[in-house]
Amino acid sequence: MADVELDPVIHAQARLRVVATLASLGAHDRIAFPRLQKLLDMTAGNLSTHLRRLEEADYVLITKTHEGRTPATYVELTLAGRLAFRTYTQSLRALLGDAS
Amino acid sequence: MATDEPRDVTSRTDDAAPDLAEALAIIAAQRSRADDTRPSGTLLFGIWGVAWLVGYGALWLTARDGGTPSVLAAAIAIGGGIAAVAVTIVHTTHRTRGIAGASARQGLLYGLAWPIGFVAQSMIVAGLGHAGASNEVTALAANAIAALVVGLLYIAGGMMLNLTSMYVIGGWMALTGAAAALAGVPGSYLVMALAGGGGMLVGALVESVRARG
Repeated sequence: MADVELDPVIHAQARLRVVATLASLGAHDRIAFPRLQKLLDMTAGNLSTHLRRLEEADYVLITKTHEGRTPATYVELTLAGRLAFRTYTQSLRALLGDAS
Repeated sequence: MATDEPRDVTSRTDDAAPDLAEALAIIAAQRSRADDTRPSGTLLFGIWGVAWLVGYGALWLTARDGGTPSVLAAAIAIGGGIAAVAVTIVHTTHRTRGIAGASARQGLLYGLAWPIGFVAQSMIVAGLGHAGASNEVTALAANAIAALVVGLLYIAGGMMLNLTSMYVIGGWMALTGAAAALAGVPGSYLVMALAGGGGMLVGALVESVRARG
């Protein structure tokens, strides 16, 4: 058995979906919370919970700002998050390669 | 297969660890979902291909006997261009809403380059007219310079977005305008319709195959 470990912060269905979506955006891009929610088909509460966990791991950066008078929240993958996701996909491929 | 077991078992199903193949499938699915945040090359090349084909086609049909294009043909060409601009702006704005940061800034600067290019084009054409250029010279210059602006901006877009297909179409459009100038009126309209419009439609086809693959 390969001693490759999958990052437990990313290796959970919902958080993997969040991180994979953020990683598909440009390297220095942020996405508005409602747009991210739509891309993921998740409830606001559920998405917030998972984002908090990712934020604790320093994988995402959450920016609160104002657009005119409306508050807006933007989410982006940090460099650490991007690297962690790359390591995760590499480990995944290595494990699948070992399994076959 | 100890690594397949969730380490952190909670009651929430979406906290559960996916199995390995499932994880790869989730990544692929979200990657294609995120394509919705970028404009569709198929749609944009397609709408512009049709606008060129129909607009320049109409100009050629009414000018091919050596006359000047009819007012109706000119209205179709201009109307098609305006419709294509509107579709481009609405589609791009809709797809990229809620995305901020580096690519939003690049997109804004790139978007502004288009009116800059076309204001310059119309000023040059007006200048040629003032300097006594004939209708034929004015028509050839207007088309060739417009195609050059489109071509070079597509080349720039191809470099910016790392899209070789966009770069290739840009080169093709610039050369199409130049070939149309060599062909002379009214053949230039046919070159623009078939090589220009047709080239973009081929680009739309290539993009749709690429997007699916």
